[in-house]
Amino acid sequence: MARKVILYLVLLVGIVVFTYPFFWMLMASLAPEKEIESLVLIPSQVSLNSYRQVVEKIPIFRAFCNSLLVSGAVTAGVLVFGSMVGYALSRLRFRGRNLIFYILLFTMTLPFQITLIPQYILMVKLGWVDTYLALIAPYMMNAFGIIMFRQFFLSIPQDLIDAARIDGCGDLQILFRILWPNSIPALVTVGIITFMNSWNEVLWPLIVIRVEKLMTMPQLIALFAVGGRAEAQLGVKLAAATMLALPIVLAYLFFQRYFIESMATSGLKE
Amino acid sequence: MARVELVDVTKVYDNKVTAVNTVNLVIEDREFVVLVGPSGCGKSTLLRMIAGLEEVTSGDIFIGGQRVNDVPPKDRDIAMVFQNYALYPHMTVFENMAFGLKIRKFPREEIRRRVLEAADILGLQELLDRKPRALSGGQRQRVAVGRAIVRKPKVFLFDEPLSNLDAKLRVQMRIEINRLHKRLQTTMIYVTHDQVEAMTMGDKIVVLRDGVVQQVDAPLNLYNNPANLFVAGFIGSPAMNFMAGIIQDNGGFVFQGKRFRFALPESLGDSLKPYVGRRVILGVRPEHVYDQQLAGRRPLTNAQEVQVDVIEPIGNEVFLYFGDGEKSYCMRMSPDKLYRPGEKLQIALDARKLFFFDPQTEQRIA
Repeated sequence: MARKVILYLVLLVGIVVFTYPFFWMLMASLAPEKEIESLVLIPSQVSLNSYRQVVEKIPIFRAFCNSLLVSGAVTAGVLVFGSMVGYALSRLRFRGRNLIFYILLFTMTLPFQITLIPQYILMVKLGWVDTYLALIAPYMMNAFGIIMFRQFFLSIPQDLIDAARIDGCGDLQILFRILWPNSIPALVTVGIITFMNSWNEVLWPLIVIRVEKLMTMPQLIALFAVGGRAEAQLGVKLAAATMLALPIVLAYLFFQRYFIESMATSGLKE
Repeated sequence: MARVELVDVTKVYDNKVTAVNTVNLVIEDREFVVLVGPSGCGKSTLLRMIAGLEEVTSGDIFIGGQRVNDVPPKDRDIAMVFQNYALYPHMTVFENMAFGLKIRKFPREEIRRRVLEAADILGLQELLDRKPRALSGGQRQRVAVGRAIVRKPKVFLFDEPLSNLDAKLRVQMRIEINRLHKRLQTTMIYVTHDQVEAMTMGDKIVVLRDGVVQQVDAPLNLYNNPANLFVAGFIGSPAMNFMAGIIQDNGGFVFQGKRFRFALPESLGDSLKPYVGRRVILGVRPEHVYDQQLAGRRPLTNAQEVQVDVIEPIGNEVFLYFGDGEKSYCMRMSPDKLYRPGEKLQIALDARKLFFFDPQTEQRIA
């Protein structure tokens, strides 16, 4: 019994540490500006004033649509291309297969900052600066997605793929009609993580996008919060940050079952 | 017309392991051929090469007269049933069976008609809306067979389809597959490591060992006339007894083992003459070793005294085990007489049912 109580206490402390900042942000964004200074969670009155100001000052809905478009396209790309490469690396036999896999693993260890400048120069040469392409194209495939799919596909019995081949499927049909429906946890995990990373990306958009109407939400909000347009009003900044976080939280709540399932099994099945 | 012909077919894997070595085989149209051998003998690899799931390193495969080495599996007009069923988990039984036809763009009505027909043959009508995970092992295997028969292929391939089923169900499915072959009249190639399955199902059995064909024959011929030591030991359960010894010519031929000595019939003389004074291996099946008292008027060899070590009563028969200080031997008896461990009895061998093998080449010499 005592053991259980201690266990729950530890968990409780963990929950508070992880969720308090988020709840404080949410509550502070709803509180009147003068109450924000304190760390109290419950405001004396609920006010949407901060949100109203955000909407008035910056094209937040346009940025939301941009973010949705960019993150959606990036996620779709990672799922389609990542699973295609993952399938090839796990199920097709060709010379250099393992070498390619190890190179992919290696690229995961490279920090983003190293490729930042060459990637920017590439965007300039292609004339993609200040277009959606600059935000989407470089991220439509990533090593993480490929490796996740490769590992997951390795856990699917070869007989299933052979059966599909004999039934008349080509490789693309095997991938999309047989493997995809049986890889929901992997698709959801890769999907959420990719979407989240893309949604939260600030640095790259700041580098390649200068036109306000093409800006993504985090970029716009970062510029808004640090660029002086929020006029040092903490509530407005927090309201903007809440608006940024909300879609991700909702997506996670919706898909969490698959997400946990996949995180718990992937990598162990082999 | 779906004659399957393999000419010098060889498979060498990347790690230089030869899985199948120069196999030549003709499977006639409508024939039911069983490939049998211990695990790792190359039987599944051979089947997968016929299916097109493995590339052929050298040699040619012909199906219906057409060379198919470079033809993808979907264009070979074959269907395959896998050991672990390989049903698509996200599809219902109906969708599983219909999938191959759907991919081949058959009209909906035709797909429906064929699936219902197959479901009728296999007793799956009630299960069409279920997902595979809601089925028992036997039902899943039936669906896997159904998926193969809706396609009406030229050749059916079975890769150890019954090994995941329990013993009772295995017997039942064995009979059903036999019945199916009679009904569909299609070429069937069946892989198993179970020699009972092989004996009961095939028109013809191909025994494989280390990727090499040991013997191709009708089941009973294989049993009665094994070509070599391996086939003799592999086919039959309990396995044939093997006893090493020397052939002596003392006016008549005699086999002298470690402890036992049997006078051999004259009819074996011509074959054994070159082996006088040399080591040979004597083979005799458990049912051809007799308790001399109960042997009746069969032509037997001389009797030898043995002491019973172990008794295995199966119900309809009893296996008695005895040794010569080196190896253990088995005899198959009727359960009518009760034996006890430690009991001594006089055994003799059926003189018409003795096999002799060369220990070096392992080939049969008599």
